[in-house]
Amino acid sequence: MSEFHDDYPSYETMYQHDEAHGKQIRSKLWKVFWLLLAITLLELFVGFKATSWGLLGSTFLKFFFIFFTLVKAGGIVLVFMHLIDETKFFRYTILLPYSIFISYLIFIVLVEGTYCGYPENKTKVNPALKEQQRKLREHHGQPIPAELMEGTSGAAATEKHGE
Amino acid sequence: MSHAVEIDSKTAWGGGQSPFRMSYGKIFMWFFLVSDALTFSGLLCAYGFIRHKYVSVWPVAENVFTHFPGVTAHVPLAYVGLMTFILIMSSVTMVLAVEAGHRNDRKGVTLWMFFTIIGGLMFVGSQAWEWYHFIEGTEAGAMRSVWDIDKGQYVTKLIHGANMTYNEYGVPQFANFFFFITGFHGFHVFSGVVINCVIFINVLLGTYEKRGHYEMIEKVGLYWHFVDLVWVFVFTFFYLL
Repeated sequence: MSEFHDDYPSYETMYQHDEAHGKQIRSKLWKVFWLLLAITLLELFVGFKATSWGLLGSTFLKFFFIFFTLVKAGGIVLVFMHLIDETKFFRYTILLPYSIFISYLIFIVLVEGTYCGYPENKTKVNPALKEQQRKLREHHGQPIPAELMEGTSGAAATEKHGE
Repeated sequence: MSHAVEIDSKTAWGGGQSPFRMSYGKIFMWFFLVSDALTFSGLLCAYGFIRHKYVSVWPVAENVFTHFPGVTAHVPLAYVGLMTFILIMSSVTMVLAVEAGHRNDRKGVTLWMFFTIIGGLMFVGSQAWEWYHFIEGTEAGAMRSVWDIDKGQYVTKLIHGANMTYNEYGVPQFANFFFFITGFHGFHVFSGVVINCVIFINVLLGTYEKRGHYEMIEKVGLYWHFVDLVWVFVFTFFYLL
């Protein structure tokens, strides 16, 4: 390639570095690795304890997990995939279209998704499945949503198709 | 008919240095990853939508994935924690291979690529084990009405495990999304391992040594980190939430 255009920079070799610089980069990479591992362990610990802390299915827990997931994603994309080292122009070329499309998708699912289960805006759920989930949650000491309690007189736990 | 135009490199791009200041291969690996990320995000949004629809009867992941190899006790989240650890570990060995490549250190690249491939294989194996237990189900099972092909009607019977039509653990959609999304991700891991093997053989043969740079390691590295990135989200939405 360079035989035709001698003034072209060689992008393939522009990130090459010597051992001294490599040492710095490696220590940064290991720091990010320990951060990712610490966050994962924290998430697992909270996930494991969620039931006994009475947090299972709570809004706080959802935002907690989503926040730390985004932190981890940032660590992987910016440091491991070196996006932070690319030009600003390229960073935005990658991140902006993706963010715009996905924020729109999430928005439309959250807003228009309320129509599911039309006309009563309520999904018909098999009573056998309700019974099963109620028993399971009772067994594990997990909180039971109100919808699981209605219509469960204890009888008729068999499933009917096509309801 | 030559019509030479003088381009001022300060105001317009004259075709010389790219505004991205990157090689062609890396730019297009990134573009491919953006499109793949859109696919996975679409799948996860669909998962969230259906889960919200059946929010009251959606199985709690802790009550479904409770096995650990060699342990009979109820250990929720432990196995998936191990899988996540394996994938993050193989991600860090990959980035160390990229770093070694930047120093033209063939020995370092060989070593770290080897560990990355081992990590990938361990992850695919773990996923196969997880799937096996999910399909096999528990001893207790659950009563479900299943289509009987001989009678031509639904019959209520005891079933174990999950497949595309019925699911012992709760609504069938849970199993469908689990198989589709973790399967799609697992296939990405599998193809990543295959690509890593090809690059590893090239490193052993000295292809990149002759070329003078190890940029190919960077490109497969991008793909490999993307696989890790997707798993971070799958882990959150399937197992933690």
